[in-house]
Amino acid sequence: MSESSSEFKVWESIPVGDDLGTLDYVLTEKMVADYRRVVDNPHAAYPTVAARHPANLFYRKYASTMRVPNMGHDSEYFNPPVVGKRITIHGRIADKYIRRGNAYIIVEATATDEDGRLIERSKLVGLAREVGKQAAHANIAKKWGA
Amino acid sequence: MAAQLKVGDRLEPVTRNVTEEKMVEFERCVWDRGRNSHSDVNAAKADGISRTIASGQNQMAFLHELLERNFGDAWVYGGKISVRYIHPVYGGDSLTANGTVTEMKDEDGKTRVVLQVWCENQDGRKTSVGTAQAGQPSASRTWFTPAKALAK
Repeated sequence: MSESSSEFKVWESIPVGDDLGTLDYVLTEKMVADYRRVVDNPHAAYPTVAARHPANLFYRKYASTMRVPNMGHDSEYFNPPVVGKRITIHGRIADKYIRRGNAYIIVEATATDEDGRLIERSKLVGLAREVGKQAAHANIAKKWGA
Repeated sequence: MAAQLKVGDRLEPVTRNVTEEKMVEFERCVWDRGRNSHSDVNAAKADGISRTIASGQNQMAFLHELLERNFGDAWVYGGKISVRYIHPVYGGDSLTANGTVTEMKDEDGKTRVVLQVWCENQDGRKTSVGTAQAGQPSASRTWFTPAKALAK
């Protein structure tokens, strides 16, 4: 990986397994109602889709050095979150790799509520973009002229 | 009992309109992430694109509805999804979430329905592609319980 020593310097410095710590919030009735209205789904079970748990945990630690625009998600859903319950999310760097010349970071977040119910486990597939070097969505502009 | 699926079956699709206004709201609801390339044109330009694009999670929301409607509790309690976002979605687009059953597999003695899932825009262009799986569809919708009751 000779090219990576300069091109992916920040990406290389982020270790797989890195603990991103925890964040928590109380899911309010308003959050659920707002989400359901915005997505036109009055019964949406997982308003946490809009909360972006992996990205929030990643940016708390790495916002000044790295952007991870969302190329995909691998997610599992166990129990819908309950209004009024505190949700705690815990994150880690689950993997990273280079594919077709692009560096990727996989950020995993696991959400549980105050009663210990497992809510969801979500992995963000992030295209690693070093802050100040590459525009976050330059690939989209190049590919589709966006 | 809900109708059981077999390989080759196609789910009833879900179509939703994406608007600039709802893209902005999506970024603010549940957890406000501030201005970004999904909600603010200047932030989008700073990120290298000329206009705002809907977030991948916005597409994920439509796929969730597709799976909730077609699988009920079988999706909500134990569903899995793997999606890649392959084409930008803009305000004014109309997105349709689709699913086709590709496989039945056994997992811990229970049948899992495996699907190809995707969103496509009004021009028929796929904007996201992936796979999902859940148990056979359930007629139960236990999460429909009103939010106030759930809070008790």
